[in-house]
Amino acid sequence: MSIDFYWRLPTHGCHSTIRHGSYDRGDWSPLAPGNQTPGLTAEGEDDGFRYIDHLAEIAKAAELSGFIGGLIPSFPNTDDPWAISPLLARETETFRFMIAFQPGFLDPVHAARLSASLQRATGGRTVFNIITGGGGPSQLWWGDDFTHDDRYGRTTEFLDVFRGVWSGQPFDYQGLFYQVEGERLSPLLAREEVPEIWFSGSSDAALQSAAKHADYYLSWLEPYEQLTDKFARVKQRTAELGGEQKCAIRVDLVARPTEEEAWRDVRIGFENVTDETRAQWRGQPTDSIGASRQAALRPTEAKRWDDLIVGKNLWGGFNLLRGGPSLGIVGSYEQCAEQLDELIGRGADAFILAGTPHLEEAYRIGEEVLPLLGRTAAKQFLLEAAE
Amino acid sequence: MTLNLYWRLDPAAEPARGEPHERPATGYLPREARTRSLTRYDYYAQVARAAAITGFDGLFVAYRPDSDDSQIVAAAVARGAPRLRLIPEFPSTVGSAVYAAKQAVSFQRATHNRLGWAIVSNPADEEDAERIREFLHVARGVHGQQPFDHKGQFFAVQGGGFKAPLANVPFPPVFLSGADEAALQLSAHAADIHLFDDVDLDRLRERAETLDRLTLAADRNVAIGVVARVTARETDDEAAGAGGEGIAGSYAAVADRLVALHAAGVTHLVLSAPQSVEEAYRIGQFVLPLVRARTSALRTAA
Repeated sequence: MSIDFYWRLPTHGCHSTIRHGSYDRGDWSPLAPGNQTPGLTAEGEDDGFRYIDHLAEIAKAAELSGFIGGLIPSFPNTDDPWAISPLLARETETFRFMIAFQPGFLDPVHAARLSASLQRATGGRTVFNIITGGGGPSQLWWGDDFTHDDRYGRTTEFLDVFRGVWSGQPFDYQGLFYQVEGERLSPLLAREEVPEIWFSGSSDAALQSAAKHADYYLSWLEPYEQLTDKFARVKQRTAELGGEQKCAIRVDLVARPTEEEAWRDVRIGFENVTDETRAQWRGQPTDSIGASRQAALRPTEAKRWDDLIVGKNLWGGFNLLRGGPSLGIVGSYEQCAEQLDELIGRGADAFILAGTPHLEEAYRIGEEVLPLLGRTAAKQFLLEAAE
Repeated sequence: MTLNLYWRLDPAAEPARGEPHERPATGYLPREARTRSLTRYDYYAQVARAAAITGFDGLFVAYRPDSDDSQIVAAAVARGAPRLRLIPEFPSTVGSAVYAAKQAVSFQRATHNRLGWAIVSNPADEEDAERIREFLHVARGVHGQQPFDHKGQFFAVQGGGFKAPLANVPFPPVFLSGADEAALQLSAHAADIHLFDDVDLDRLRERAETLDRLTLAADRNVAIGVVARVTARETDDEAAGAGGEGIAGSYAAVADRLVALHAAGVTHLVLSAPQSVEEAYRIGQFVLPLVRARTSALRTAA
């Protein structure tokens, strides 16, 4: 058995440390001394580096330290994964580009052609993270006014067409949202593998779509019992619908040589959170069920950093330190590996990991945590329990 | 009036070149050392570098639905060819105009603003001109304004528009083409550069005048470009012997023609010839210097 470990490319800038919230890598804060990509020359001028140069370094670090690829998120204020992936295709060798993508963005036939071309450019390193949920003002921002359930219907049809034309035979389709006649990929393009598809969304509309088209069901980290139930339900429900689903977890780690050092960084990070940051993450409107589950932890209201310790080596305040999910793993290298082993025991078949700063932590987690997997007490316990 | 010179890469041309699946499998004396990681994209990258090295300002990438996608090719070669502008050709049916604008912003940010858009029109599609107009209106709208709202025939946006650092990035120059009055009308309202096929100078001047009139009425400026196949050789005879397609002749004769186009008001020249790497070197090395010398003399004289 082997597990796919992905890293994450932060497409909205990065911090040089988890202890401070300033985006000093990238241009999401004004160009100032100490900033990188772009930075300043000794004369105080733009040094010509661009944020893509930093993303290239993270991708290279991830592939060198044993990650199979990286998730490239897509939000209104991020750089775009469809622009980033081909830009970095030729300077990486094994790194898989997991493109976060909403089906409403592109025509499905065009998307199939783009994907096959990217497969050719990368030697088959394209992966899709299909996003259907979300909702709220950001959907209208994108020019998308579909309702929640319509969006899953559209996702299913999008993938029907995407796969249909990939057969290389003239393909007809009469859907509610898409109609095509006699479309196909040319033999040159159809020869490529259809990208692996990662899916998320816990509603039944989402699971019906996933059962038909997804390879991996992706969840943010949730309290373990809840997550175990969810994975079991996803696997059972998609099996009932005739699909087979692997499960994956997206989670941040703070891994240090000792547990004390890890919690110390988290504490300092928490103490440096500004009121402005709390306000920013408080009550973000969304109709995504997964996001609502995370919001129930209410880290924006916490007074002390240790109020947010929700389990052994689990901390629920990550969204205060950087954008994204709130629950993450904090501990020594050994403890972080134990947690990941336990999650594997609970049904995880793959992971998207992240740590701040993304460049240095790709090396740290790749070198210090990943090699311990499968050897920890949690794993031994599970193996014994299975016997 | 600077002259911009582009090379044009056609992903569907010379299909066997660099294509791993086209390598002879057996009966081949030299030991095969090429790995699977050497691909067609190495060839595209070399065409881009050829254009950059020999002094072209940019590279157009043709839209060929049965071959590699122009936007993937343009991005894949961008970082290996610094300073070269990249202009993928694509139709307005690719998807959401907001998403196209967002991809363009990231490309601009990553490449020091080297992107251009060449929107391919489809005369067989009745709605095409209207869609292109709306596509560009929305893409420019979310790009330049916040909040941007739009409800049209093809696209709808509410509260759109990019925030810093995605805001304030130059919008890619837009190239449109076509010879009829409808195409010129569309360009007058929506293009930055209108591309004509290479035709005789009188007809070109006539169409350019029509475009100027429409552009003036729309209170805009639209530059004029020409797209041409080139067959350049040391002598006129050799050029004729090489098929003589497009602008054909000795290096000096080809340069004469390009200078004459420039004198007629053309400021963008998009050139192509098979085979792409060899001919980019040939034209870049032997024709462009003549053109540059004479057009800069023209500017000095003016």
